[in-house]
Amino acid sequence: MAYRRAAVVGLVLLALALPFLFSVNRFYAFILGVTYLYILWSSGMNLLSGFTGLMPLMYAGLAGLGAYTTVNLVMKFGLSFWLAMPVGALAAAVVGVVLGLPSLRLRGFYFTLSGLVIQTALTMLFVYIPQFTGGDTGISQIPPPMIPLPGDKSFPLAGVWFEEALAIAALLTVYVVHRVTRSTWGRYLVAIREDDLLTEALGIGVTRYRVLAFFISSLFAGVGGAFYAHYMGFVSPRSFDVLTSMNIWLIVGFGGQGTILGPIVGTIILAPIPYIMQELYLYKDIVYGSLIVFTTIFLPRGVYGSVLFHRRARAAAHSAAQGKSEAARS
Amino acid sequence: MTLESILLNGLAVITTGLIVGAIFSLVAAGVTIMYGTIWFPNAANGQFFMLAALLMWSLVVNWGLSPFLGAVVVLTGSIPFSLVLEKFLVRPFYNVPNRNIVYFIMTLGLAQIFAGAFTGTYGRWSDQYSLPAAWPGAIMLGPFPFPRTRQNREAAILRGVDVRRIYRFSFVLAMLVITMGGVLFAMAYGFDLTMAWTMAIIGFAIMIVGGPGSVLGSVVIGMIFGFTQAVVSLFASPTLAAFSYLIVMLIILLVKPSGLFAR
Repeated sequence: MAYRRAAVVGLVLLALALPFLFSVNRFYAFILGVTYLYILWSSGMNLLSGFTGLMPLMYAGLAGLGAYTTVNLVMKFGLSFWLAMPVGALAAAVVGVVLGLPSLRLRGFYFTLSGLVIQTALTMLFVYIPQFTGGDTGISQIPPPMIPLPGDKSFPLAGVWFEEALAIAALLTVYVVHRVTRSTWGRYLVAIREDDLLTEALGIGVTRYRVLAFFISSLFAGVGGAFYAHYMGFVSPRSFDVLTSMNIWLIVGFGGQGTILGPIVGTIILAPIPYIMQELYLYKDIVYGSLIVFTTIFLPRGVYGSVLFHRRARAAAHSAAQGKSEAARS
Repeated sequence: MTLESILLNGLAVITTGLIVGAIFSLVAAGVTIMYGTIWFPNAANGQFFMLAALLMWSLVVNWGLSPFLGAVVVLTGSIPFSLVLEKFLVRPFYNVPNRNIVYFIMTLGLAQIFAGAFTGTYGRWSDQYSLPAAWPGAIMLGPFPFPRTRQNREAAILRGVDVRRIYRFSFVLAMLVITMGGVLFAMAYGFDLTMAWTMAIIGFAIMIVGGPGSVLGSVVIGMIFGFTQAVVSLFASPTLAAFSYLIVMLIILLVKPSGLFAR
């Protein structure tokens, strides 16, 4: 246990130190920032898709809602980013629950399909109301968040400090998801995933816990969207279309659904790909799509999930063998 | 509005409604056959539809084939293509519990592959594809009895039905019907690549409203949606029509997930 705690502390310190190490090269620092952003998004989605067993295909649309709300509050009403972001995240979560509430009664494929429908409707909406979203051309020159200082001064959150902020946001997300899944109702969520009828029969309000998981997950989608908009400085409906939802799902599924480290592993492997192979941007969809097919056929547990599974299987075999030899001795 | 313009608009609505309705019905029939028999919710149906339309365009515009010959080539080609797909993507999952969601995710990936491939190839050559005008010819697929083996596979096996052969046959047939929709679409309209996703969603919307597994339902609802599209496009943006399908689909999903024409 002590060794594990040391490893966690080491990883946290590493995550906080990396932005400074990468700050020599702006391009690599940017890829690092994007990676942190996707750790936030994928960990948030994992709470729903991995632990509760509902695949939310409207995730990127909700992130878009959070992003557009925040950007409009900041650019039109002059609100501080730090006030606007929680409002945006809350808007994403509330709209997500209102839209998703009826579909939360559905299960499996039908839930996923209604997610696809909601995502498509949101994308169409983003194109359809240009006064809030800039339509197909999007919104550019989004200012960086300002950090207020004592006195009347403030300085823009830019460069290495933005990556640092993203690192903290990602770490907080992972921590919250970890705490949630270790709590009693986190275990209810897993029970719902494994057998919702049995869980219902045990007197646990399945729909209520699903709504709660959906709310928290959408909250992270919105927070990620707000950070995304201000980090990139540009958003368009294309940033939040169904392909983005699928990419985030792929990251979770490839890393390992329903594990804390899985989405992190998946993000580190997959998120930098489109930025590293920028000249080959046309092949990005082919690579990601093939990975989705590959993951569903050959790697349903994900990379980290498979590692965990084999380790547990070996431990079980080991203890079984030990039990047998002890039984033989006595 | 003069009488003349009313008549012209009415005629336009009828022809557009018939053609669009036929295209919608074909795609939705393909989707519903796949889901009804194999439990295979094909999210890539819009991309297969687009593949057929693009091949049609290539054959007619680049190779100079006549539209009729082009249609024959594309339709024939779809059979070996779907046999290969069936062998590598559909068959390995026949024994997986909840295979419909596995299939759905997998075909979403497939759709992304095709979308990327289309923008990487056709997307560079042009952004609007249209064939020289030809008589479009509406194809009507009547309701016909279809072997329903999804409900109880074991019982079907016990009664000596070769389930796998029926699955393979249904898959090939469904792909053929979707390909037909794409061919007809390419003949009747100019199109662009974004149509693929829209068509995928509309196919699902019609399937859900009509009732998964019901070919009759998909033809009737497909026709209704087609005429809705034709009427709405007269007065407002076609986006509104698509929006209304999505809302109808959500309502049906929540109220009566088995669809209107469920047996």
